[in-house]
Order: sequence, then C-alpha cells, then structure tokens
Amino acid sequence: MSLELGLVSVLPVLAPVAAAVLVLLLDVAVPGRREPHLVLGAGGLVAGLLGALPGLGLGAGEARSALCLPGGWCAYRADHLVSALQVCALGAALVVLVLTWRDWAAPGPDGGPEGTGRAPVVTALLLAATAGVVAVPASGDLGSLLVSLELATLPTVALVALVRTTWAADRRARAVDGAVSLLTTSLVSFGLLALGAALWVAATGSTRFDGRAQVDHPQLIVLAAVLLVAGLAFKVSAVPFHAWTPITYAAAPLPVTAYLATVSKVAALGGLVVVVRALGPVDGATLVAVAVLAAASMTVGNLVALVQQDTVRLLAWSTIAQAGWVLLPLASLSAQAASAAGSYLVVYVTATVLAFVVLTAVVAVSPSARATSLESQRGLLRTHPLLALPLALALLTLAGLPPAVAGVVAKIVALRPVLGDDTWWLALVAAVNIALGLAVYLRWVAVLLAPTPTEAGPPPSRVPARLWALTGVLTALLVVGSVLPVGAL
Amino acid sequence: MSGAAGRMREDLLALVPDLGVWWYALALLPLLLVALLLLGLGRRRVPPGRRVVHRGSMAAAGLSAVGVAGVALDRPVLELSWIPSLGVSFSLRPDGLSVPLLLLTALVGVVATALHLHPAREPRPEPVDLADTDPTSPIPVVRGQDVPGLATYHACLQVVLLGALVAFLAGDALVFFIGFELVLVPMWVLVARYGDPGSDREGAALRFLLVTVVGSSLVLLGILAVASATGTTDLALWAAEGGASLGRGSQLAVAAVLLVGLGLKIPVFPLHTWLPWVHATAPTAGSVLLAAVLLKLGTYGVVRLVLPVVPEGFAAWSPLLAGLGVTGIVWASLVCLVERDLKRLIAWSSVAHLGFVVLGLATGTQAGLQAALFGNVAHGLVSALLFVVVGGLKHRWGSADLGRRRAAVREVAPRLGLALVLGMAASSGLPGLAVFWGEIGSVLAAWGPAADRPEGWFRGFAVLAAVGGALAVAYTVRVLREVWAGDRVEPRVPDAELTERTALRLLGLLVLVLGLAPTLLLGVTAPFVEGVLAR
Repeated sequence: MSLELGLVSVLPVLAPVAAAVLVLLLDVAVPGRREPHLVLGAGGLVAGLLGALPGLGLGAGEARSALCLPGGWCAYRADHLVSALQVCALGAALVVLVLTWRDWAAPGPDGGPEGTGRAPVVTALLLAATAGVVAVPASGDLGSLLVSLELATLPTVALVALVRTTWAADRRARAVDGAVSLLTTSLVSFGLLALGAALWVAATGSTRFDGRAQVDHPQLIVLAAVLLVAGLAFKVSAVPFHAWTPITYAAAPLPVTAYLATVSKVAALGGLVVVVRALGPVDGATLVAVAVLAAASMTVGNLVALVQQDTVRLLAWSTIAQAGWVLLPLASLSAQAASAAGSYLVVYVTATVLAFVVLTAVVAVSPSARATSLESQRGLLRTHPLLALPLALALLTLAGLPPAVAGVVAKIVALRPVLGDDTWWLALVAAVNIALGLAVYLRWVAVLLAPTPTEAGPPPSRVPARLWALTGVLTALLVVGSVLPVGAL
Repeated sequence: MSGAAGRMREDLLALVPDLGVWWYALALLPLLLVALLLLGLGRRRVPPGRRVVHRGSMAAAGLSAVGVAGVALDRPVLELSWIPSLGVSFSLRPDGLSVPLLLLTALVGVVATALHLHPAREPRPEPVDLADTDPTSPIPVVRGQDVPGLATYHACLQVVLLGALVAFLAGDALVFFIGFELVLVPMWVLVARYGDPGSDREGAALRFLLVTVVGSSLVLLGILAVASATGTTDLALWAAEGGASLGRGSQLAVAAVLLVGLGLKIPVFPLHTWLPWVHATAPTAGSVLLAAVLLKLGTYGVVRLVLPVVPEGFAAWSPLLAGLGVTGIVWASLVCLVERDLKRLIAWSSVAHLGFVVLGLATGTQAGLQAALFGNVAHGLVSALLFVVVGGLKHRWGSADLGRRRAAVREVAPRLGLALVLGMAASSGLPGLAVFWGEIGSVLAAWGPAADRPEGWFRGFAVLAAVGGALAVAYTVRVLREVWAGDRVEPRVPDAELTERTALRLLGLLVLVLGLAPTLLLGVTAPFVEGVLAR
C-alpha cells in the first residue's frame, strides 16, 4: 500500500509545526533571548499563510490533497472553503502574535529573562495550537480530526495559565482559574467527541470521511453526529457548553482572549464542517439539536451581554451569541450550509480581531486602571477618533447593520439555508436576535459617541505603531468587504 | 404614459442632457462623499464652522436633487454584478411607483438639510408667580449657530437620504434591504444626540432603532424565503412570476412576515406606539425625514415586495390589514383631540393618514392602489410642511406643550400661521388640497373592493374611515383654535426666517398643485398600477 505524500499542500500545517520545533531548538541554542523566538514564530505563521493562499483560487470540486491512498481517499484535503478558513486562522494568529509581542518579549521581574523561560514556551504553544486549528477542517478521517482538535485545544489552556510573573498574585490566580475551567470543559467535551466517534465507526464501519460512507444505521449516524456536534459546541462556546467562556476570557491576557475568541473558533467550525460534509448521505435533513444550540446560544449570549459593564466580558458573551449565528446555517445539513457557516465565521473573526486590536490600543493609551470597563471608553470618538471609528465599524459588522454591509451580507448568508428549509421558528428566533444583538453592540457604540467627560486627565500616551498598522489593515478589510461583499465562500 | 403628462415628459426629456446611468452618480455620490468628508472634518480638533458645513451639505443635497430629477426623467437602468456568489446584482431601476417617492425624497432632503440645527437646551422653566400673567420671554435666536457636532449631524442627514434613495431605486430585493437598513444608524444618532434634551432622547432613539430593526429583520426573512423559492432576488422577476413558485401556505407565511415587518415601519395600528414618542423627541429635520421619507419606505415595501410577489397571501390578509388601518385612523384621530404635545399630535395625525394609505392598498383595486400611492406622496408633503412649522414653533416656545398660554401665532408669526393653516387644512382632507384625493379615493375604493375581498366588511371599513375623516376636521379646528387663533401677543416669537419661508412656500405650493391637478401624479403611477393589477 503506497502513500502519496503531497507536502506542498500541507504547508499551512507544517510551517507552524516546524516553526514550533525550531523555536524550542533555538531556545536551547541561545537561551535567555526573547525576540528571535517571536520572529521565528511570525515567520512560521507567514509561511503557513502563504502556503494556504493558493487554495483560495480553487474552483468547485477542486481540492489540494496530501497523504493520499491509491483508492483516492486522502487524510488531508483542503478545498476552497477549507483554505479560506485556514487563511483566516493563520491571519488571526499572526495578529494575536503581533498584539502580544511586547508582553511576551518583556523582561522578567529583575530585568533579566523570565524565570519560567516564558517567551519560547508560549510562542511554541501558540504555533502548535494554530497548527492544530489549521489541520482540523482539512482532516479526512476521525483520527486526524480528534488529534488535531486536541492539538488546537490543549496548548491554549497553557497559554491562559502562563501569564507574566510580574502580574499581581490574585490576577495570576484568576488566570489559573480560567485555565482550569477551560481544561475541565475541554475534557468533558473530548469525552463526548470520543463517544460520537465510536458511534460513527459503529454506524459506518470506517473512520474515514469519504463522503459516500456505507450507512447501515441512519439513526445511529445521526446520534453520532449529535454527539460530535455537542463535543465541538464547547469549543465554539455554544449554550449550554459556554460556561467556561466568560471566566476564561476575563482572566486571560487580552491577546490570548483574542486568540480564543477567533482562532479557536475556526477549529470548532472546521470540525463541524467536516462532520456536516461527511453526513452527505443524510443530506437535506434538519438537525434539530444544532438548531436548538444555535437558538439558545444567540438568545442567552445576547441577553447576558446586554447587562455587561466590562467590554471584555461583553465581547465574551457576544462570542457566545455569534457562535449561535455560526451554528445557525448548519441546522440544515447541506454543502451550502457549511459554506454559509464558514463565510459567517470569516466575517466574525475579522470584526472580532479588529475589536480586540482596538481594545488593546485603548488599554495602551488609557490612563485609567480599569481601561476595559465600558464607562472608561465614554467619548472615545472625540478623544481618539481613529480608534473609535474602526471599533464602531467592527461592532456594527458584528451587529449586521449598514454601513457595515459585510456584516449584513454575512447575516443574509447565514439565514439563507434556514429559510430554504422552511424552519420558520428558527428564522424568527434569529430575527429577534438581530434586534437583541443590535441593542448589545449599540450600547457600546452609544458610549463611544457620548460627549466626553470634562475632567482633564493626564496627557494620553501614544498608540504603538504596530497597533495602528493592524487597525488599518483590518479596517481596510472590512471596508472592502462592505463595498464588494464576497457573500458565500 | 397618458396624455398631457406624457407629452410634458417628452418635452422635458428633449431639454435634459442624456447622461444615462451617470444620473445615478449625480444623485448618490455627492451625498456619500459629503457625508464622509463631514464625518472626517468633524473629528478634527477645530471642527469646520457652521457656514462651511451647512453650505457643503446644501450643495450635496441640491446636486443630488438634480440627479434625482434627471433619473426621474431619463429612467436609466443600471445593472452591476455585486455579490456574484449570492446572485445579487446592484441594479437600480426606477419605475412609476418609485419616481414620485424619489422626487419627494430629494425635495424633502433639500428642505431638511436647509433647516438650521438649534443648539440643544433645557426647556425654559416657567416662573411660578408669573404663571397667570403675560411673561415676556427673551426672543431666541432662530438663525443657525455653531452647534457642537454640526458636521456629524449633517453627515447623518446625508446618509439617511442616501439610504432612502437606494431603497427606492433598487431593482433587487437585497439592495432594497440594504438601503432600508442604511437609514437606521444615522437616524438613531440624529435622535439620540441631537434630539430634544428635555425628554428621554436616548430611550426614544433606542426604541426607534429596536422596533425598526425587528421590522427589517422580519422583512429580511420574507425576502430570503421568496428568494429561496424563486431562486433570484430580482424584483422584476418576482413581480413577473406573481407567486407561482410558492404554495398557498408559504404565500400566507411570507405575506404575514413581510406585513408585520413593514407594518412596524409604516406604522400600522397596533404597531405604531413608537412613532409619536420618536417624533416628539427628534430634531425638526429628523422629524421631517422620518415622516416624509422613512415611513414611505414601509408603504413602498408593501407595494413592491408583497402586493405583486405574494398576491394570494396579501389577498388573504388584506381584510385584517384594512381593519387595522381603519382602527388606526379612528384611534389616532381620537388621540389627536386630547394630545397635549403639538409635535406628538402631528405624529398621531400621520398614523391616521397612513391608515388611509393602508386601507387603499388592501382593497386590491386599481383605484385603491392609485389612491394609496397618491395619499402616500401627499402625506409626505403635508407632514414635512407641518413638521417644519411645528418644529420651528417648538424651538421658539421652548416646548410644544399646548397647555401653556402663548401668543396667537396668527398675531405674532403670520407666515408660520398661514403655513400651519394650510397644512392642517390639507391634513383634514379639504378638497383642493393634496391629501383629499388620497383619502376620498381610499374610501371609495373600500366601498367597492376587488372581487375576492369580503364586500360587507370593506363597506363597514369605508364608513369608519369616513368617520375618521370627520374627526380629522375636529382636531384641525382644535389645533387652529389653540395655536393659531386668539388675540394674545405676548410672549412674542419671531416669524419664519429665510430658510423656513422658502421651504414652506415650496411645500405649500406643491400641496396646492397636487390638490388642484392630481392627474400630474396619477399619470405617473398609472402604468405601474395597471401592470400590477392587470393579472
């Protein structure tokens, strides 16, 4: 049995993994240095990104595959949608790395290196997690899916826990709390995933997703799919698997939160897309379990986000609501639904990353100790218009309201499969949630627009150039996406 | 195109340069560019002065009005592939239904931009010991002032106009929807930031936004349901198909969702509760745009998305719709007899007028549809006129409370007074003024509705609507007696200044012209109406 390698196609996964290994080797060669690791990590991500870009040009039915058996089945298969998800994940990971650069390159308490040897470790962890995320949507069998999902999840637990030793003790304790709740939920959901995988094998007699699996027991395969979806729902933080989200988001360093809110979501959705596509034989059915998850997530997420006073917590709950929107099209199992969910996710990730970048910039310039509280951003449009306008654009994109047409089109794309199926109850829940979500995000926008409090604070510090660059690039992406929307991938 | 109107259009067409689709650039781009420019300039440390902002904004609205006039005469068709993966093309395709509304939007846009924004201030406190005497209040300055955030205010006005024009021009359902939604955020900013500080303006703005977004989300569901059944979002194809690809159950569901969504926007009783509050709070220009343009988006949506697309569903719901419309007429007219806030009173009268429009739509006859479209435009003109007057009076008085003793407008501000008399007379349906034709047409059409409508019910609705029309006379008399008539001359308020005078003359003239020569408008809408109800 000969295996056909196609290593060029696997570059999006290989490059971050290779970079992770190199980072650790480099740490052995030049211990104590911090910047070279980060440069190497960024290089790995960029190489992966460049490797995934050609996949965007693939037409329908085309795919870049690797590790193929003579029968035509491939363990790695990236078509247009998968490549788009990979580009999105790698790009967002790169943004997170730039955001966290200063923090990870910072010296330890005594001015020397961190005693924990933190910089190379966290860089390697980020790269490993990202490699897992990129591998998930391309996986061709249950084994690769489970392994890459765990590779995408476990390093993030360490990323949440490994904060700087200069932080106050109670804050570090909270970070560990956050990491533990993330770990616990991920273990439970891995149990569900394993159970689902076992049922899947029992139903189809194969671990491979080749789209034309011989189904002996359709009920069994639906049950397996429900369990797999439940296991993945934890990662996408859908209600009722969302409990870790607000705790972990608020405890982790801001860039790591951004990572969890964006890159990790790509892994979850990638897994869902793989499952939905593999369910080809039962195409056309409506998976009530997904519909319930979607409806519950958006409603609960929006309602709780309405009363948050801290912007990070607000974003955490908005993530839960947006998870509902990502799941929404998947309630009708079809190829169109998978691509709709992917398209929604790409828009969501871009807007959320932009919101986190601006939030990091606000924290950098704000004199107040609690810079992420909603109240401290009052009048931002007057004091820092160039930060407030991109933030408002990102929030309107998440809310799905013009002038952020990209967000509107994403909502349209996500709703289309639902109405194609005539699932009216779900569509009505979604319609109400458009209004609820708007109330959430406009509450924030209203604070930005409000008149500035008159107190004369200390002169504001400057926003670092790297944050300006990121804000500019992401805003440009959203503006282009609003003028010439891509629609469904 | 029939008779005189057709010849006039041909004569005019020979005069205008043939710009083709470039008319669209002239109609839309100035608004977009000036809005962006003003948003940018407004963020500078030293914002531009009042004159620059006002004139720039006026120039944009004026150029856009010229462009809209060109579009109305030339009617070019623009088709650009926009979102290929969804099969959406950016198509602009004006017809007999949209041209009157486009012209109305352009005109009202110029008026709203011209009106000066007054600095927000708390209502003047009434000295307790002087409550029964004649206090002489200081005369407030009514000309423009440097108001903080003036550039943002004008940018919001331009974006509202842009969104409304795109929605009326759209030949594709999703482009219509995006135009429909584009007006929401700027309108929210207008009410929340520039509204009456004496009331809960942020609450009113949020209520406006949430209600309309619930409405537009439902509209989106309806659009997507039709799109997935027909496989296209092209409005012309939808109308041509006439609901053939939807079963009766789907037609009923789609029509219900769309009618509730658009009914929130129109607004139809009992979904109207947000309107009076928002009107009472919004700045004058915001009220003018809301009444004359944004509410029209709702009725336009019914005629564009429901009537020809799901005819069977619409026919099934139309008795209920007509009943709610008539209830709205009577209810709003009764409220107008006791309402104490003048601006809110005018808003209630809007609900009554739109009740007539809804009644006309629901009859399913050509006469009813013609009357509804006419009433729609007439209401736009009259409500714009009344809100200019009432907004001006509210600013001069410091509040719009009718319970306070004030100088008779006839004595101290005769020009405003004349405009008020004209507007209220038109509003009460006086023959010879614009609203009359819409209301009488709706009532007559309801007396003899289409064959598939329950005739008995509609005759009852016709009688009730006529009673509502009589109530309109009663509240008109009430307003004129309390505000206009009398012989008190203290406290004095200044009369209309230049921009108000010009705006009022323009609107008043059009109200008269449409009242005396209704065929000018009916001739434009006739081909569309015949096309829709020929089947």
